[in-house]
Amino acid sequence: MSGDNLKIAVVGFGKMGMLHAGILNVLPRVKLTAICEKSGLIRRFLKKAVGDVDVVDCVEKLSGLNLDAVYVTTPIGAHFPVVKGLYEKGIVRNVFVEKTLASNFEEARRLCCLAEKADGVNMVGYLRRFCVTFMKAKELLDGGIIGEPVSFRAYAYSSDFFGVNGNSGVRTPGVGVVRDLGCHALDLALWFFGDLWVEDAKVEAVVNGDSMDSAHFNVKASGSVFGEFDVSWCVDGYRMPEVGFLIDGSKGSLNVNDDELSVSLKDGKGRKWLRHDLGDCVGFWLGTPEYYREDESFIEAVLKRKPVEPCFETAAKVDRLIDEVLARAGKIE
Amino acid sequence: MNSKDKVLLVGDNPFHGISHLSQERSRVRGDTPTNPEYAAKLIGLAVQNGADGFMFSVSEKTLSILDVLRKNGEGNGLSLYAIVPYAYEYVRLAGANGGVPGLAKKLVREIVFSGNLRAAASGLNAALRSDLASLVKTYLLYEVSRVKRSASRRAKLESVILHQLLTDLCLGLGLDWVFKFYTGFLLKIGIVPGFNTGNFAFLVDKFREWRINLEDIVIAAPFNKVGFQMVPSREECEKALASLPKTNVLAISILAAGYLKPEEAVDYIAGLPNIKGVAVGVSKEGHANETFKLLRDRLS
Repeated sequence: MSGDNLKIAVVGFGKMGMLHAGILNVLPRVKLTAICEKSGLIRRFLKKAVGDVDVVDCVEKLSGLNLDAVYVTTPIGAHFPVVKGLYEKGIVRNVFVEKTLASNFEEARRLCCLAEKADGVNMVGYLRRFCVTFMKAKELLDGGIIGEPVSFRAYAYSSDFFGVNGNSGVRTPGVGVVRDLGCHALDLALWFFGDLWVEDAKVEAVVNGDSMDSAHFNVKASGSVFGEFDVSWCVDGYRMPEVGFLIDGSKGSLNVNDDELSVSLKDGKGRKWLRHDLGDCVGFWLGTPEYYREDESFIEAVLKRKPVEPCFETAAKVDRLIDEVLARAGKIE
Repeated sequence: MNSKDKVLLVGDNPFHGISHLSQERSRVRGDTPTNPEYAAKLIGLAVQNGADGFMFSVSEKTLSILDVLRKNGEGNGLSLYAIVPYAYEYVRLAGANGGVPGLAKKLVREIVFSGNLRAAASGLNAALRSDLASLVKTYLLYEVSRVKRSASRRAKLESVILHQLLTDLCLGLGLDWVFKFYTGFLLKIGIVPGFNTGNFAFLVDKFREWRINLEDIVIAAPFNKVGFQMVPSREECEKALASLPKTNVLAISILAAGYLKPEEAVDYIAGLPNIKGVAVGVSKEGHANETFKLLRDRLS
């Protein structure tokens, strides 16, 4: 620590790196100390823009900075080598990684082992756990408002590639829509219902012949709960990515997405909440309020040296499920 | 306009298919408000009922609306408050063009080939020298020229407002030089510098600390009676508002994204000090008539 402040570095200064860096820098007891970015163009601009922050081009150069925590916000494919390097070179014990933890379950499992040895705080950026509508849904489900859950339908949609065809030169993320967008719905389902097992899956290309742009899969959860997922980044009307659930239970149903939550009970009672009704206020607003809550939780955990969710172990379950979906759909062996 | 008058602006969110209440609401609205001809008609109706101008993110969509207004002879005398950059579009493009470096290269190419010789020369020079300040200047010249090309000659570009995402990112990173450069450059070319922020109280504090003259600028920030998007709290935002040396705040989200009825929203705004004006989005002809009639009667 530098005085009373935690010294933090951000690896990967794309949109997520910028966002976290901006929030971290205003959080009490945090000092943004270094940025690691491989693009020479961005590094050149950064050095001129942020005078009191070290700007480096590789993770090894973060050693010797006596960092308290590192945020890894690179593209998903780089998560494994970057986090592995941070732990193995003893650069830092406390690590935050943007979702998903890794590119596959095997990598995620290996990162969990390294994190356990490091004995620090670790967290993965499944930010919807910090969105007021989903937080309230979790509270209501745990309180048994709709009785025992019986089944659910989940979606994760965006219009990022709606109307895009293969000739436009637009590239979809190589990791595919399930890992890029569907992971949020999977993480929330794990949070709401516990472990899941994939029963069948279909993954389709829409933009290019070899891209993975939409997916439909069915899962089973403990207690005979059945779930159905629909994921796509080619849907009209989703300017911002949106995740939602319709959950049926023995006493009624619950409907939740990023913007609103409603409960409809079999006895005729019901209620609806918007973000306005759920105290959606934070100390600093950048992106959406959930980013602030997420970063605040990680920093508090580092300061108090206590675990925080979703940790690597929890997030690795999402990587396992994505592998299962892709295997069932014949996209991987 | 007397000292009690407030500037009444038509906001552009519905024209981009945005609802901050829920995406479901914008899906229900459908494509009608995003049609430039229809949007221009709504602005025309709002003006007939008391609106003074248009606050908009500079995008192909809003430039088309300005084109329609100009061709219809309806943009004369309109006060324009242009928000740059249209962050949503740039974030989307970054995703599809290999991240931020890909986006930066695409933007420089666009400016260089825009036909604006001053901006093109300055842009090439800035890119070669990795000179951030010159790039900002180039970008602003490029956006101002796009607005002026589309708008009626008798419309007045009152302010160029830095988009909320950029303002708040620079606030978070403590980039005081961006605010100082932005303010200085726009004042030099005769345009009032503006900042759209979701962290109004924080911005006011920081600008005082950085000795940026709050009298030189306009600030667009959420103000509504339920405290929606008023960070860190309604009370802190009201306190910061009262402390300003000049009436220079444009209240946005006054209806809390449609959560409040215009009648309940307007009294709260009328009771606040230092509010220069309000911006409200409309998606139907009835809204354009009624909302601006109400705003004119209660705020002007």
